[in-house]
Amino acid sequence: MIALTRMRLHGFVRTGRAVAPLIAALAVLSILYGGGQAEAGEAYGVSALVAFPVLAWQTKILLDVEPDVQRRLARVALGSAGREIAAGLLAAAAAGLGTIAVALVMPWIFGGVKGEPSSLLIGLGVHLLALGPAVALGALSCRAVTRTAGMGAAVLVTGSVLAIVLGLQGSPAPWLVPPLMAATRFTTSGGTALTALTLAAHATLWTAAAAWAYARLRRDRA
Amino acid sequence: MHLDDVWQRYRRGGPWVLSNVTARVEPGGIVVVLGRNGAGKSTLLQLVAGVLRPTRGRVTDRPAVVGWVPERFPADQAGTVTGYLRAMAAVRGLGHAAATRAVDEWVQRLGLGAFRDVKLPELSKGTAQKVGLAQAMLAPPDLLILDEPWEGLDAATRDLVPGIVLEVAARGGSVLVSDHRGETVRLPGAASWTVADGTVTTAAADTGPRCVVEVAVDAADLADAVARLREQGHHVLRVREEVGS
Repeated sequence: MIALTRMRLHGFVRTGRAVAPLIAALAVLSILYGGGQAEAGEAYGVSALVAFPVLAWQTKILLDVEPDVQRRLARVALGSAGREIAAGLLAAAAAGLGTIAVALVMPWIFGGVKGEPSSLLIGLGVHLLALGPAVALGALSCRAVTRTAGMGAAVLVTGSVLAIVLGLQGSPAPWLVPPLMAATRFTTSGGTALTALTLAAHATLWTAAAAWAYARLRRDRA
Repeated sequence: MHLDDVWQRYRRGGPWVLSNVTARVEPGGIVVVLGRNGAGKSTLLQLVAGVLRPTRGRVTDRPAVVGWVPERFPADQAGTVTGYLRAMAAVRGLGHAAATRAVDEWVQRLGLGAFRDVKLPELSKGTAQKVGLAQAMLAPPDLLILDEPWEGLDAATRDLVPGIVLEVAARGGSVLVSDHRGETVRLPGAASWTVADGTVTTAAADTGPRCVVEVAVDAADLADAVARLREQGHHVLRVREEVGS
């Protein structure tokens, strides 16, 4: 499974498909930090929110790099649909960690944030909170599941918009979407350790449910 | 390996591509899969390989190591021939040394030496098909599935295919081969599965004496006539044009 993860990451980088989401991430970060120095903790909360669609899009691109027949060859070579599916999610998560590293470190290099370096930990936590759901949403929008480019884009955009709209304060169903908005509010307004744990549990459950749906769909869509 | 009342369709409510398929492949057995274009041969082979999950029914006792050669190798991907084959060997669980040995062996056997460092998208169709064959053989398969393996190959490599099939079978592996070129005449003793109208008719390997009947048909009816003969379980050995016609 690790060999297939490495092969897929290699394909993602070698074909140049990794460039577009990286440029998108850098553009978003430039806009976010272009207005002047911000408090690191608060800025990272917003950064994780805007990174969500970029990470989901990056996942879709990574999973779509491989030709359909090669994906099937990998499934036969591994001898397990589950491990083939997991290798794709793992590769997407690894690529997402790279993008998150850029989102965390770049603002310090260019003086976009101020505060204690320990706020990097808060930043890492809140970005990791977005990574799982983003990988799951991106996977649900990949070609193997959605079949057409239009449907893939629709899943990606709808999921990203709903994550924000249903995450607003007073939303009737905030549990339907990953807790991105709640995490942003947490970093700007503060909260208890229990709140942080609840957010982490919510994000983990949402990721698990979406990844389970992806795996179910992919069992029949090689 | 056993297909037990397997049904397959590609979407809910869509037409059944295959229905009520029950068949068995024994270790060491060779099966030639026959049928017209679009009859469902590739679908059947992908069910056997584990690429597709049956909509109904089940495939049981599939061996652990399966080699599948698709009808068209997907050359539109990153990497060189050796880079790709080493990566696929690693995916199959081969260590570095074993992967290097396996890649070297199959690169040499299939005449890919001159293409070792060539990028996959730059390969001709036939050379890409050889890479497809090589990736299936990196770990000795207990079940080898070849979807039109002779398609696009040069004469020298076409001659190698029966030897590879017989090698796998001699080792106790099972082999399924689809073919519409009549090349499977080179696989004596093979059983046949004929796919037509969504069903699969199985016939045991030829054991008794056979006769050769020469039949002349209009060139325009050739494809249909050959397909009909095969559907009826006859073995089409060769097709030639009549001199002076």
